[in-house]
Amino acid sequence: MAGQLSDAALVERFPWVQISHDNKELFRGWLDQRLLILRCRDCNRFHHPPKPICPECWSWRVEATPVSGRGVIHLAMFLRQGSPAPGVDYENGPHPVVTVELEEQPGLRFTSTVVDAPIEAITIGAPVELAWIDRYGAPFPAFRLRKGAK
Amino acid sequence: MMAMDQAAKRYPIRDQIAIVGIGSTAFSRDAGGRSPASLACEASIQAIHDAGMTKADIDGVVGVLEPGAPRANQMTALLELPNVTHHSGPMPVAMFGLIDAMTAIFSGQCDTVLVYYAFTRLPWNSRSAAQDPFRRYVMMGGGTAKPPMPESIDPSAAYTAWASRYIHEFGARREDFGRIAINMRANAARNPKAVMKTPLTMEGYLSARMIRDPLCMLDMDIPVDGADAFVLTTTERAKRLTKNPIVVHAATAGMVGRSDEDQLPSLARHGQHVVVESLKARGELWLDDVDVFFPYDGFSIITLGWIENVGYCKPGGAGRFMEEHWDEKSGRVLINGRVPMNPHGGSLSEGASRGTGHLREAVTQLRGEAGSRQVENARTALIGCGGFFFNSQGAILRRI
Repeated sequence: MAGQLSDAALVERFPWVQISHDNKELFRGWLDQRLLILRCRDCNRFHHPPKPICPECWSWRVEATPVSGRGVIHLAMFLRQGSPAPGVDYENGPHPVVTVELEEQPGLRFTSTVVDAPIEAITIGAPVELAWIDRYGAPFPAFRLRKGAK
Repeated sequence: MMAMDQAAKRYPIRDQIAIVGIGSTAFSRDAGGRSPASLACEASIQAIHDAGMTKADIDGVVGVLEPGAPRANQMTALLELPNVTHHSGPMPVAMFGLIDAMTAIFSGQCDTVLVYYAFTRLPWNSRSAAQDPFRRYVMMGGGTAKPPMPESIDPSAAYTAWASRYIHEFGARREDFGRIAINMRANAARNPKAVMKTPLTMEGYLSARMIRDPLCMLDMDIPVDGADAFVLTTTERAKRLTKNPIVVHAATAGMVGRSDEDQLPSLARHGQHVVVESLKARGELWLDDVDVFFPYDGFSIITLGWIENVGYCKPGGAGRFMEEHWDEKSGRVLINGRVPMNPHGGSLSEGASRGTGHLREAVTQLRGEAGSRQVENARTALIGCGGFFFNSQGAILRRI
């Protein structure tokens, strides 16, 4: 389990992201293909991006907590140019970036890409689920359209 | 709202600080061989001379932290200002510098402030800048070692993301965004400082290169080299210095707590709403008094937001509003046939000054020095600066 991985080893697994003491548990989760979001143990509210305290009640008892990764597309854009990443080829067509409102809590959102879907099917309101992909040799949480969902 | 009501009851700075000097390099796509410090010095010296002052009069220096711009302490040395008792480095965009200067003067930390802003095209937003070896070190936001992921919802990408939401919620059309761009271009044609003066048609807008759907190149401001500077002092002193001091009636920043770009509560509640509530509470002038309107246009979606959020129309109504207030003859918006929107061409067409162009043009218009762009008898200007997340700001300027 990546939960045992040292901070130094964790940083080496994700040389392309800025890991901090506030977000490190989320990236440990990625290595196990688990999407974790910080949740307050006192007021139960999730928050994202990771903060050292619960921004709602100011409790310090925040804990990386698994979420389903299911949700609905809230914002959607399609990049014709942007930062480089393996598997992202802007020449081949626009790269979708979506902000998904997670089913665990209204207004709790996670931003990533959508795989295995034609651009025209990636619309605001569309239900999605997690789809782990590989990026620089580490798991990366993306989304795919959720079939059969309303 | 308790805090806002309390503060607004006592807003002792209202009308007490005046802008007495303005200076600006023209904006350009390539200032060729000039450093941001050189541009900042030119604008600053112009502004100090415009105020009828010399270096000994400046005891406050506010250097806004634009990438590559000289810091306030460096500017003090660049100009050898002999007695500086306040210096600071606020974040962009423009009103943070204005507000810091105002509060420093009003509190007595200093008497007369130079505020300056220098812009330099960066390697990541300009191909020609990427060729300039001297610009390699200049990073946005002071620089992080790691380039962002394509999926990073940084502030600029976030405007595109929320534009998608705006289209989804209100059924907005691309033409609604296009009118913003066309208005700015038509206005820029009459501004010698502007970089983009080629006439723009709706066909031209609709066929422009997409950058991040749903926004295209013409929805995004144009990177420039250039600098703006302002000199502020007390209104009392300004009245002795000049016949037409332009006073800051009210100015404010505005944020909501959930300001992480992708976590913003909604298009119905963000920084612009706080700014509008604050300006209304702190000022005594509003839309009926406004002769010239300056909605920020770093991205076209921000302008649509300002038009709606100051109350010219309902949420989602900005496209229709511009259609109804479109002046066919001049190819631009004239609200009620009278009030133009960014008569200098805004960030989209004058150049990406993060609001300093708006501030400079507001002063120029209120002084009655805008030449062929002059709004007849302009007495009050409303500036809605910045966007939705961490940099929403506003100001009401007036001639006294």
